[in-house]
Amino acid sequence: MSETAPKPTITLDGKCIPFEPGDTIMRAAERANLDSDIPRFCYHPGLPVAGTCRMCTVEIEKSPKLMTSCSTPATDGMIVHTQSPKVRQSRAGVMEFLLINHPLDCPVCDQAGECSLQNYNYEYGPGTSEFKEQKRIFEKAETKKLSERLTLNMNRCVHCERCVRFTESVTKTNELLMNHRGWKKELTTALEEGVFNEYQGNIADICPVGAITFNDFRFKKRVWFLKPKETICDGCSKGCSVFADEEKNIVHRYRARENKAVNGHWICDAGRVSFHRRQEPQRVVEPLLRPTGSTGLVASNWLTVLPWFAKAIAEAKKILFVLGTDTTIEEAKALQHDFPQATFRMLNGIDGINTSKDDAPVDQLLRRKDQTPNTRGLEELGFTALDGGETGYELAIYFKSGRAAARSKKLAAIEVAWGVWFSPEITDFTAVIPGLSHLEKRGSFTNCDGITQSFVPAVTPLGMASSVEKVLHALNAKSRSQSKEALHVPL
Amino acid sequence: MSLFDILAILGKVAFVLAVVLGSVPLIVWFERRGSAWIQGRVGPNRVGPFGLFQPFVDVVKFATKENFVPRDSSKVYYHLAPALAVVAPLAAFAVIPFGSQIIVMGQAIQLQITQLDIGILAILAFAGLEIYPVMLAGWSSNNKYGVFGALRGSSQMMSYEIAFGLSLASMLLVYGTFDLNEMVRYQQNTFFGFLPKWGILLNPLSFLIFLIAIFVETNRLPFDLPEGDSELVAGYHIEYGATKFMMFFFAEYVAMIMASSVLVTLFLGGYATLPGVGLLIHTLGISLDLTSDNQQNLLALGQVTSFIFKVALIMIFYVWVRWTLPRFRFDQLMNLGWKILFPLSLINLMFVASFLAWIGG
Amino acid sequence: MAKVVSRKESFWDRFYIPALLIGLSVTLKHFFRSLVLGKTKTIQYPEVKREYSQRFRGRHFISIDQNKIENCTSCYLCQTVCPAECITIVAEERDPAQNPYGVAKEKKPLSFDIDALRCCFCGMCEEACPKDAIKLSRDYELATLNRDEAMYDLNYLKREVKGRG
Repeated sequence: MSETAPKPTITLDGKCIPFEPGDTIMRAAERANLDSDIPRFCYHPGLPVAGTCRMCTVEIEKSPKLMTSCSTPATDGMIVHTQSPKVRQSRAGVMEFLLINHPLDCPVCDQAGECSLQNYNYEYGPGTSEFKEQKRIFEKAETKKLSERLTLNMNRCVHCERCVRFTESVTKTNELLMNHRGWKKELTTALEEGVFNEYQGNIADICPVGAITFNDFRFKKRVWFLKPKETICDGCSKGCSVFADEEKNIVHRYRARENKAVNGHWICDAGRVSFHRRQEPQRVVEPLLRPTGSTGLVASNWLTVLPWFAKAIAEAKKILFVLGTDTTIEEAKALQHDFPQATFRMLNGIDGINTSKDDAPVDQLLRRKDQTPNTRGLEELGFTALDGGETGYELAIYFKSGRAAARSKKLAAIEVAWGVWFSPEITDFTAVIPGLSHLEKRGSFTNCDGITQSFVPAVTPLGMASSVEKVLHALNAKSRSQSKEALHVPL
Repeated sequence: MSLFDILAILGKVAFVLAVVLGSVPLIVWFERRGSAWIQGRVGPNRVGPFGLFQPFVDVVKFATKENFVPRDSSKVYYHLAPALAVVAPLAAFAVIPFGSQIIVMGQAIQLQITQLDIGILAILAFAGLEIYPVMLAGWSSNNKYGVFGALRGSSQMMSYEIAFGLSLASMLLVYGTFDLNEMVRYQQNTFFGFLPKWGILLNPLSFLIFLIAIFVETNRLPFDLPEGDSELVAGYHIEYGATKFMMFFFAEYVAMIMASSVLVTLFLGGYATLPGVGLLIHTLGISLDLTSDNQQNLLALGQVTSFIFKVALIMIFYVWVRWTLPRFRFDQLMNLGWKILFPLSLINLMFVASFLAWIGG
Repeated sequence: MAKVVSRKESFWDRFYIPALLIGLSVTLKHFFRSLVLGKTKTIQYPEVKREYSQRFRGRHFISIDQNKIENCTSCYLCQTVCPAECITIVAEERDPAQNPYGVAKEKKPLSFDIDALRCCFCGMCEEACPKDAIKLSRDYELATLNRDEAMYDLNYLKREVKGRG
C-alpha cells in the first residue's frame, strides 16, 4: 500500500476509525481501543472466530438485521452503532436467556468480580426474568475435575466454547469437546485422563464465567481484593508477560498479559505457578552467618553480616563470583563494577544446561528447556559459564534470584550465598545474604529470542531481604559512621 | 486543774471526735443514696445492710491506692494542705456547746470542750483558716486546674466571709454576747409561752444570708466552683490521690458538720430541745423518780440528741440543695456576694442595731 | 426563625426564693417517690438483665444447620463489606467425602476470625451474608479478661445460639 493512499475507515459510534483490509468490525474496534463497548462471550482475540454467543451484535446502517461484530468484515464507509436501543434490546434478550440456567452462586464462585456474565448483566441485562421453572442442573458435572489443574462446574457454563477452540487451535491437543445439543450441551473431555496439555491455566483465564477454574487459585482469594501488577515471568528463558495479582504483599496468581512479541495471549502452567517460589516458607529472608567453629548457620542481622562480608572481601586475594543466570542485567553490571578484583562466572545448572546453546523449545508454543530467565543476557555481557576448572580461590560468592541451580561442589574455603536461596541449598555456606526475587526488584532480562524486557517491583521485599544496590552501597561506605548510616538502609 | 477536770475534758474531746468522725461515713452514705433517690436511682446498696458499709470499703479503697506525689510540686505545702483541711474545722468544734451540763459524782461538767467567752470569734478564726488548705493544695501541686480551683476557692471564701461575718454580727447584737452558751440559753426562752425564741425567728434575713454563706464557705453545690468537675476536673485537689484525697474528702464533710453546728447554735436554738420535748423529759424524770442530778443528766441526753438531730437535718438539707440547684457561674457568684448579700447584711445589721437601740433606749 | 419570648418576672420572682422552694419541693417529691414507693429506673444488673429488642446487635455467631455444619460458604462478602476490617477468612474446599451437600457447600472456611475489639457492630456483615451464616446475637456481655478472648475463631462462632440469643 502506498503511503499516500488513504486507509479504509468505518464509523463506530460516530468516531471514524481506520482498519486494515480483512479486519472484522471487532478487530477494527480493538485496534482503535474502542472494543470495550462491544460485549462478547465467544470471541477472544487469540482464538478463531465462532460467532455463536450473539452478544457482540451491532447495528450496521443499511443492514436490516443486527450483525455479529466479531465475524462481520469491515468495509469502507460502514456506519456502526454499538449502543443503539435495538442493540441493547438484543443484548438484554441474550442475557436473559443465558441467565435462565445460570446458577445464582456468585458469592461462592471464584469468577465473581471479573466475570463477563456479571459485568454484562449489570450493563445490559434486563434485570428481571420471566423464567419461573426449575433451573437446569448437571448433577455429575457440578464439581468435576477436568485434570489435576482444572475444575469444571458445568452449571455455570454459557456455552461459548472458548475452551474447546483453545485446545483445537492453540495447543492442538483437542482434549475438550461439547456433548449433546441445546440446553443439555455439556463440556466433556475426549479421553479418560482429561486435559493433559501444559497450558491449562489459560482455559480458566479465558472462560468468561466461573465454569472452569484453576485449582492453584481456586478458593484462595476473591479477585476484588487483588491488585494486578505488570511484570514478567521468570520461569524460563521465554520471559512471558504476566499480571502478578497481589494483595497485602502476597502474590496470589499470575495471569497472562498480552504481548505479541513474546507470548501472545498465553502462558504455560509451570510459569503460572512459578510465583510461589517468592513466598515459599523455605526461602531465606534474613542474613545468616556461620560463627567460627560452629557447624550450623545462625540467624544474624545486617549490622553483623555486612562488616563481616566487607572484611572477607578485603582479606581474600582471589575471589570467584558466580552469577546465577537469573541475575538481572543491571545487577550483573553493578557487581562487575564493584568487584573488579573478582573472577566472574555464570551458572545455570538446571537440567544440565550451561549456556544458551543448550536451550531449545520444548513444544511448538512457549515452553523452553532453559528454566532461568537471563542466560542470554549474561552471555551478551560477556560472562562465561562455570566449567569446574576453577581452583585456588579463597572466597566464592554465589549470587542468584531463586531460579538458577545452587553450585554442585565447593570451590573455595569461604563461600557466600547471596540473593534468593532456599534452606536445603545453603547447608555448607559460610554466610547467606538475603536478596530480592524478581517480583521484588526492578531490572531487565534478555529472553531466548534476544528481546530485552524491563520490569518494576510488583511487591515489596519479604523479611530482611535487601536489594543489591543497598548492600553494595553499605559495603562501599568508607568510614565507619558512613557505613553505619548505609547499613541502616537495608534494615 | 484537778485530775477530774482533765479526764472530763479528754472525755468530751473523745466524744466529739467520735461523733463527728463517726457521722462522716453516715453522711457520705446518705449523700450517695439520697442523691440516688432524688434522681430516681437506687444508689450503693451492695455492701452491708442498705449499703451502709459502702463508705468503709471506700476508705479501704482509698488507703490501698497508689500514694503518688507530683514531681514538680512543693512537697511541704503539698502534704500540709490535706492535714490543715481536716484540722481547721475539727478545732472549731472545741467551742461549740452540745448540751447544758451533766452531773457526775456531784460535779457539774459543761457539755462544751472549752468554754471561751469569745467562742464565736474562735469559730470565725478557724473558719478563716479553711481558706489555706484550698490555696496551698491548689498552688503547691503545680497544676493549672489546681491553681484555678485555688484562686476561685480563695476569692469566693474571702468574698462571702464578709456576708458571713456581718450576719453573725447582727446576731451578736441580738444576743448581746460572744459566748455561745449564753446564746443558746437565750434561745431557750419563748415567745408567748410556746414559740421558742430561736435566732431564725428573731432575725430570718440574717439566717438566710448565713445559710447561703456557709454553702459557699464549705464549697458545696451550688457554689462548688473550686472543684467544678465539668471545667476544672477536680479543682484544687486534682493532684491528690489515695489517703491524701480521702483527707480532703473527710475535711469537706467535717467542715459541713461544723458549719451546720454553728448555724444550729446561732439560729436553731443550739442544744435547746424542741418545744414540748423539755416538758416531756421533765415529766419522765419525775415519773421515774430520778434524783435531781440524774434528771439533769436525762435532760442533757435529750439536749445532745436534739443537737445532733438538728445538725443532721441541716446535713440532709445540704444534699437536698445539691441536687436541686445547678452550679453558679463565677460572675453570678460574685454578683450575689458583693452586690446583694453584702449590702443586704449591712442593712440588716444597721436595722437590728437601730431597733435594739430604740427598744433598749 | 428565632422567636422572642418575653418573660414577665413579677416582683416576687425577682427574689428567686419562690422558684427555689418550688425546685426543692420537686426534688423532695422525687426523693420520697424513690424511697417510699421504690420507683427507680435502675436495673439490678447481674441479677436482672435487660431484654433487648430482636434487632439488637451483639456478639457474633455463625449459624449452623441440623448436621452442625456451618452455613458459611466463605464467600468473603462480610470481609469485603466490613468497614472496620475485623473479619479475616481463609477458604478451602470441603472434603468431598464429608460433603453431603454437593456444590452448595463445596467451599468452606478453613478459619474465620473476628476481632471483636475492632468490630463496630454495624451489622453490615449480617446484611451482606447470602447464606444468613454470620449473625449478631443479642448477647451484649462482651467483656473479656484478656485480648485473646476477644478474638473469635470459627469454633467459637459456631456455638449453638437459639434464635438470636
